[in-house]
Amino acid sequence: MPKCTIDGKEVEFKAGENLVTVAKRVGAEIPVFCYHPGLSVVAQCRMCYVEVEKMPKLQTACSTLAAEGMVVKTQSEAVKKGRAGTMEFLLLNHPLDCPICDKAGECDLQDNSFGHGSEFMRHSEERRTYVDVDMGPVIQKNMNRCIHCTRCIRFGEEVAGIHEMVAIKRGNNIDITTIDGKQLKTEYAGNYSDICPTGSLTLKDFRFKKRAWMLKKTATICEGCSKGCNMEVQQEGNVVYRCVPRENLEINKYWMCDEGRFNYHYVQDPSRIVSPMKRSGDSWLVSPWEELLVNFRTDSAGTGVMLLIGTDLTLEEMKAIQETAKALSPRAAILSFGTPGVESTTQDGPRDQILKMKSKTSNLKGAEMLGIQPLLGAAKSDVVLVFRGGRAELPRIEAKKAYGVGVFLEKERNHFHAILPGLSFLEKEGTVVNHQGKEQSLKRALLPRGKSKAIGEILMLALHQRNGEVTA
Amino acid sequence: MKEKHLSEKFYQAMKQKESRYPDRKALILPALHQAQAEYGWLPKEVLAEIAEYIGVHEAQIREVASFYTMYNLKPVGKMHLKLCTNVACCLRGADELMEYAEKKLGVKCGETTPDGAFTLSEEECLGACTTAPVMMANDDYVENLDINSLNHFIEKVKHER
Amino acid sequence: MSANSQTLFVQHFWKDSNRTLEYYLEEMSGYEAARKVLGGMTPDQVIEEVKKANIRGRGGAGFPMGMKWSFIPKNSEKPKYLVCNADESEPGTCKDRQIIRYTPHLLIEGLLIGSFAIGCKHAYVYIRGEYVREARLLEEAIEEAREKGYLGKNIFGSGFDLEITVHRGAGAYICGEETGLLNSLEGKRGEPRVKPPFPAISGAFSCPTAVNNVESIANVPHIIQMGGDAFAKLGKIDKSGGTRLISLSGHVNKPGVYEVQAGSMTLRQIIEELGGGVWKGKKLKAVIPGGSSSPVLTADEIDAVYDVEPLMKIGTMMGSAAIMVIDEDTDMARLLLRITKFYAHESCGQCTPCREGCHWMESLLHKIVHGEAKTTDVDLLVDVAGNIGGKTLCALGDAAAMPVQSFVKKFRPEFEAYVKGQKRHA
Repeated sequence: MPKCTIDGKEVEFKAGENLVTVAKRVGAEIPVFCYHPGLSVVAQCRMCYVEVEKMPKLQTACSTLAAEGMVVKTQSEAVKKGRAGTMEFLLLNHPLDCPICDKAGECDLQDNSFGHGSEFMRHSEERRTYVDVDMGPVIQKNMNRCIHCTRCIRFGEEVAGIHEMVAIKRGNNIDITTIDGKQLKTEYAGNYSDICPTGSLTLKDFRFKKRAWMLKKTATICEGCSKGCNMEVQQEGNVVYRCVPRENLEINKYWMCDEGRFNYHYVQDPSRIVSPMKRSGDSWLVSPWEELLVNFRTDSAGTGVMLLIGTDLTLEEMKAIQETAKALSPRAAILSFGTPGVESTTQDGPRDQILKMKSKTSNLKGAEMLGIQPLLGAAKSDVVLVFRGGRAELPRIEAKKAYGVGVFLEKERNHFHAILPGLSFLEKEGTVVNHQGKEQSLKRALLPRGKSKAIGEILMLALHQRNGEVTA
Repeated sequence: MKEKHLSEKFYQAMKQKESRYPDRKALILPALHQAQAEYGWLPKEVLAEIAEYIGVHEAQIREVASFYTMYNLKPVGKMHLKLCTNVACCLRGADELMEYAEKKLGVKCGETTPDGAFTLSEEECLGACTTAPVMMANDDYVENLDINSLNHFIEKVKHER
Repeated sequence: MSANSQTLFVQHFWKDSNRTLEYYLEEMSGYEAARKVLGGMTPDQVIEEVKKANIRGRGGAGFPMGMKWSFIPKNSEKPKYLVCNADESEPGTCKDRQIIRYTPHLLIEGLLIGSFAIGCKHAYVYIRGEYVREARLLEEAIEEAREKGYLGKNIFGSGFDLEITVHRGAGAYICGEETGLLNSLEGKRGEPRVKPPFPAISGAFSCPTAVNNVESIANVPHIIQMGGDAFAKLGKIDKSGGTRLISLSGHVNKPGVYEVQAGSMTLRQIIEELGGGVWKGKKLKAVIPGGSSSPVLTADEIDAVYDVEPLMKIGTMMGSAAIMVIDEDTDMARLLLRITKFYAHESCGQCTPCREGCHWMESLLHKIVHGEAKTTDVDLLVDVAGNIGGKTLCALGDAAAMPVQSFVKKFRPEFEAYVKGQKRHA
């Protein structure tokens, strides 16, 4: 492999790698704004200056490819002065409203200013100002904070495939915007906020909800479809405030869709059923676990039992159901459900040119691997036991007795005679298999809500239930 | 079918240019020129129609049109006077000419006379520095200007209307 | 003009009837140079001849033209493009306009030869939008040439084809920068591109492209006709062949476009002998020697020979050979404000130092000449210029910084008078 020298340290690189990437390998973090590894290189922000031997001017590390024998300095006086100059320019018109800005604490402008800016302000001219623009349900724009990095424009054009964010006018008067106050059309708008290096494009869903540094972060997998986009859940006090994509070059690169991003809301929906309950005439009664477990056990042991497994469950949950069924309900038919019309992986495929898959559950592939056949049409049987993670679309159920085990909202309970509340994808660990066959792990980000229990636990308890008493 | 704003003549003129470029997007500037020649300025509906003709997002046309100073995104008067005030013209009295033109037309630089006859703008270097001061009067250059010739020119335009 | 000096262009200027093909056939090359090239020279021989001619690009950067052509890859599968830069946007410059107005066929023939040399089948002339009439004249001349078979298919029976398209800009200084120009040609905002890749590898429509100034291309028929060596000898200085068209403007008695053999005259001689000296009998204060971006010279710095290297030696540049003469009564602070306002207006806004810095410099200068500045603002202004120069994506940042640095350095008392309250603009 070819080698170059960065800050006196020799380092190997692959052809085509830029200096931002190669420098990381020797521990030199080069500050950037406009550079984003998922977007084209434009070298506009002029923050990533480095000194390259034999080149008279400072070079931008983002647009400079490492070359054999190249000698680079990332911390020289000229570099420091260059970066400080850029920081000063960027702050000339920035409102410095960090105290009320949602980006504060995770803002590239703050961080780079802290790391590379000057402690003095020499500017006393009036600042450029714009009015805020509502860009539809996902994004609110504050142009005053914008530093013209054009990541959003490039994201729209190069990733989302829609040229809706543009630069209007030129020079010091540029406005980066949609035209005529139009709403963003892309179904990937949340990414605009992620890639914005300042608080210019903020997520409406997150605005003024929580300071970024209060959030506890858990790396997990989106359950929105069979793509298996890697994401991070950010919560505080067992309340999720935001989900953001995590880099995985083989799956979602740096992005995620809005559907997946905002999918978490149902987890903390006040109408989610988190206590065991049963139907009593027209109303529902919260009932003790023991009582419902006995009923469940009794009903599942008979004939004419159908067991439905949501393709939104983890491999471990699916296996547990299969295994327990041998004892609990040996004659039951076991079928899967998830996305109507996409019952098997052969029917699955891209829903758009970007990330979305047709299967709207995370583990269709996993269900197939375990040999679970799909339910086609309605679920007709004397007794139907539905195991569901929260996202699989409920089939029509024609049964004398139906149990829902897992995550359900109040509006969904009328399908059932009893609900045994389970854990959502954010409250449990487990494995899902994406459409490519990649196994990925869900990580627990939240504590279980109310009296809900893991499916495995529910099954174990039911199995060992004898007349209201748990036996070992 | 949507109402068309641009004439058959526009589409014929563009048709001839289509084969001149390997990429349709290169037709954006010619189309904007052609449309402005027809309309005098570029209303949003026209920009949208150009976007449809080229096959790009309307925002893309807007970002291009707003980059260049010659595309009028607001209506202009019948006679658009663009006085160069850049270095060479400035050295030879362009500022006085601008003051004079403002007084003569009764408008400030950047404005249009109430009767829609004249728009007065300041222009950056027009590339005719050796015959400074100069101005553009619609598509024509008027060179070696002084207050007399500027006055004479404005009077002539008024008279011809 | 010195009596023995040889010119290639100006004798044909200033008469409308000279622009016809008829005149070109009788009085000028008349496509004989192109016929010679297509009839028996190889592309390499043409490039070799241009290299021998020692012709530096006439647009501003002064890059050797033959070298530029030789960078175009020979074996590329992609189409190749020759793009003529007729944006003529550097303030002070208006020479290319005369070539298009009076000798358009010289440009067309140059394009024909250049296209053959680099293997281009479709050449573009990017002309500034304001040159409406000039664009039309050029299109008419192209039509004339095409009717005679000098353009189109199988030119002179050589099997070589060429089309030329005139593409109009629409008001943006930055489109004079070659990659801004290419973006504008492609229907985009005229924002300069990151280099590398250079246009020779990926230019117009992502294909290998040579971008040359009008005057550079119009010299090519001369080079072929007289031979590269003879053309080089027209230059009276090393590494600079041919003649130079000079746009002389500002406070001179006879402003105009003049032609001199490269390196044959000093700046003083040009101003005094060609321009007839400073107007109204006034004294000279300063000279902007190469378009408004070039560092200003004081009255006692003008004995340098007027060409690329001698000017570089005294810390300025020849640029597009646009000389602006400034008399003793001129307020240098106000003039600098005017120049800076231009660059702020023309900054494309892509890169931080130029977008923010040019506007800041304009604001500072505005405060200075309106008596609102602090005494430290003059130094601040120079420091801001230093943070722009050499730091931007394209040369516009340098173009904006150089006048500021040089004006303040050479005429500092005029700026100080303002900030000390001794002087105030009405």
